[in-house]
Amino acid sequence: MGSPRPKNDVLQGTLSLLVLKTLASNKRRHGYAITSHIQRVSEDLLRVEEGSLYPALHRMEQMGLLRSEWGVTEKNREARFYSLTATGRRQLALEEESWNRLTEGVGRVLRYA
Amino acid sequence: MSWLKRLVNTVRSGRVEREIRRELEFHVAERADELRDSGLSAEEAERRARMKLGNPLLQAERTRDMDVALWADGIARNLRHAARSLGRTPGFALTVVATLALGIGANTAVFGALDAVLLRPLPFPDADRLVRLSQVQQTRSESMIAPVRLEEWNRLNSTFSAISGYGVEDVSETSGDLPERVRRAVVTQRLLEVWGVAPALGRGFSEQEHRFGGPAAALVSDRYWRSRLASTPDVLSRSVRIGNASVPIVGVMPPSFRFPDRDVDVWFPSPVDAPNAQSRHNTWYTGVGRLRPGVTLEQARADLSAVQARLAQQFPDPDRKIGVDLRPLKQDLVGGVGRTLWLLFGAVSLLLLIACTNIAALFVARGAARRPEIALRLSLGASRAAVAGLVLAETLLLALVGGALGLLVAGFATAAFRALGTELPRMDEVVVNGRILLYCSLSTLGVALVSGLAPAVRAMREDAGLASGESGRTQVSGGQRLQWVLVGGQVALSVTLLTGAGLLVRSFHALARVEPGFEKSGVLTFRMSGSWSETGEYPALVARVDRTIDTLRALPGVEGAATTGWALPGTPTQWESSFAVMEAGGDADRRIVTDLRVVSPEYFATMRIPLLQGERCERRSVDSRGAPSGQGFDLTVNRAFAVRHLSDFPSAVGLHLQAFGETALKPGRIVGVVGDAREQGIDRVPVPVVYVCLSAPGPTPFFLVRTSGDPLAVVGAVRARMKELEPQRSVYDIAVLDERIDGAYALRRLLTLLLVAFSLSALSLASVGLYGTLSYAVGLRRREVGLRMALGALRADIVRQFLGQGLRVVGLACAGGVGLALALRRVVAGLLYGVSATDAATLLGVVAMVAVVAALASLVPALRAARLDPMRVLRES
Repeated sequence: MGSPRPKNDVLQGTLSLLVLKTLASNKRRHGYAITSHIQRVSEDLLRVEEGSLYPALHRMEQMGLLRSEWGVTEKNREARFYSLTATGRRQLALEEESWNRLTEGVGRVLRYA
Repeated sequence: MSWLKRLVNTVRSGRVEREIRRELEFHVAERADELRDSGLSAEEAERRARMKLGNPLLQAERTRDMDVALWADGIARNLRHAARSLGRTPGFALTVVATLALGIGANTAVFGALDAVLLRPLPFPDADRLVRLSQVQQTRSESMIAPVRLEEWNRLNSTFSAISGYGVEDVSETSGDLPERVRRAVVTQRLLEVWGVAPALGRGFSEQEHRFGGPAAALVSDRYWRSRLASTPDVLSRSVRIGNASVPIVGVMPPSFRFPDRDVDVWFPSPVDAPNAQSRHNTWYTGVGRLRPGVTLEQARADLSAVQARLAQQFPDPDRKIGVDLRPLKQDLVGGVGRTLWLLFGAVSLLLLIACTNIAALFVARGAARRPEIALRLSLGASRAAVAGLVLAETLLLALVGGALGLLVAGFATAAFRALGTELPRMDEVVVNGRILLYCSLSTLGVALVSGLAPAVRAMREDAGLASGESGRTQVSGGQRLQWVLVGGQVALSVTLLTGAGLLVRSFHALARVEPGFEKSGVLTFRMSGSWSETGEYPALVARVDRTIDTLRALPGVEGAATTGWALPGTPTQWESSFAVMEAGGDADRRIVTDLRVVSPEYFATMRIPLLQGERCERRSVDSRGAPSGQGFDLTVNRAFAVRHLSDFPSAVGLHLQAFGETALKPGRIVGVVGDAREQGIDRVPVPVVYVCLSAPGPTPFFLVRTSGDPLAVVGAVRARMKELEPQRSVYDIAVLDERIDGAYALRRLLTLLLVAFSLSALSLASVGLYGTLSYAVGLRRREVGLRMALGALRADIVRQFLGQGLRVVGLACAGGVGLALALRRVVAGLLYGVSATDAATLLGVVAMVAVVAALASLVPALRAARLDPMRVLRES
């Protein structure tokens, strides 16, 4: 086995990007599904703190990026489902672009510094 | 939608909390499921799931914050925080609230008066279409309209829906035990049509009742119905009794209808087809018309002028010399009060501005003391807007409390206005209503913004870096500069206000020192009811008034009695007539336009106006038109008239004056010249006057009674004697001449008093601001002062330094205030007497007063600085 890969807590500010991206691919998800999706897709590289997820979800809803509704899961539990609004989609595009620019910039610095 | 959700969240935060808990419970359950699937026991899975989420309560709290803190709850929380923070300094909060309550209250009250008198339309339907009509003649300022002409104007115009006219007189109502004076308006047809008002009970006048010789009818006011007739329901079968005639009441007007003035209680129809109404020379009615919808005043003016031009062709004498004047009725009613009210409003707004500035300065000082707290908030991630919001919340809270109390103050002030301003037009319409409430709320918000903006902006500029190391002890410059600017502004505005007040006070002093040219104290004035119908039989009318004068003179304690026809001496009036001097050939070019007064022969002796030349005029028997039988009137002129117009002649006495355009009258002969008297008003230089010798030009002249003692002491005797002499007439309008003359200046006096009060409040606010700011500066620089003193600085140096700092600002502010006062000089110029608006003595006095007060306010903190113990100060740090 190689050296253990560090498990990154989600960087401040990227959480909303991750949430937006997660919801963009699917119609609607509840909070738990969002955390497990991010964890699964990032192959456990990224882990979302529940303590910051829910405040973030509510804040994003206030900002009009998400909308929420109560529904029932397959296990017949009541859960709050979130989905993306049109504003959310635009925001996602913006954040993706700025993220790409950031990583590109950081990458260059790492290569040449 | 999201704002609605937020609002719901704020109102029903219990529901939000439950939802969040449900959401988190779901999360825990899912996590526990997962953990159980990986092989943990049910309990362990549950425990770990909960642990992972952290304290659910805290979690719920944080999540909820996201929901509601952003908006409405944020404001509520800021207000709560502000209340707590202000509660820790109750003295500060109380001062600010009291200042604001007075400021907003006074401002709202004055706005209320302004609104009622100037801004709101008259209380009639479509009142902006009501117009005052006058006929103007080159030769005199008479503006009443002849009945025939009024009817022609109404018939021939195309821009008015109706034109009507009225006259007002005082008559005796004799249905009770004692005759009582009632004020009666005689009105022509269409009056109610013009007003757009219908009687509340009964009906208006019929066509027949407006005809000469038609049935008699009267409308009464709501007040008359309630007070005299005890609101009797069978009012329509009652009647009013004027003199010997009983007139049935046909209707009661609604309470809001108080026209032509608020004292009118009875309206009678005036038949324009009466034989004595046919002369085109008559001047009977005050005209009023209602414009057709969409017609402008200019169009109506052009239309009516054209009508009058046609009449001039048809009836060259006298219509060729008659023009038409139109004015909006409101403007006519409100008159010169507007300027005074605007001035008052300006002053009271300046005062409020000073109060706001003061509060802003206090908050800036407070903000500086709270720097560490604010810096801490910023470094903990509070946004700048949130910090500014916190400061604004404090001023808003204080303004809200102040505004609420201010409304109370405004209520009292409004009541006081109504009581003090009975002479002013429309004062009875001043009430606290929705518009006033709205104004008060808006000014409260304005106050919160104005006084909170500077401190809030300052708080926003605060640097988070300051939080840790520097405690603000050595930070002096920034906050202080803003504070000094604010204090300087207050002092400057106070100087401006004080200058205005000072000028008005000096005017009053000058007025009190004036020699009026007649003796105004010790004179009782009153009138006796009479009807214009008496002028149909002039000899009887004049005989009646002469008899009354003789009876009054015989009373014990009375030294003299006289009448004056139209206006009392010393009260402003404008009554002009034009004459030609017969001895100068009587040509029109030498026409003399001059003031005309109609007085009885005893007038000059009673008023103690000296006879300089010639002799006093004598009573003459008069013909039915009121002119002396077979000859002209006896005339008396004052010195100003003789000097200005008759200096070409060796003597004024014996010359003859022909009243211009009154060829039917024989020329009057000048029998005497009297001294100049300030009869137009104590504040006006005497103008040339011609006195016509006639004791009763109308049915209700003013009686003047010169008494040896207190004029009011003879009132009882006068009343009793008059009742014996004229049982059918009522005595009214009793007052001492002195007080009447003062009453003519009541508005100006009220203005002066208020302005003095405002400006003194402004000065005390400014000194408090100065004192506070300097004290604060001393507090900030304790260390520096201690250090300097330890290094050998003298106490006098320290005092000089701080006193100098305060006085420098005051000096600049005084210059600014004087500059502003000079710039605004035209605002007060029209209200001044005997002092110029740029009076150097007043300006110097104000500056000196402000300088002394400011020096005292600065001296206290400066001395305190000098008394610091250097060793203790240095040890503190």
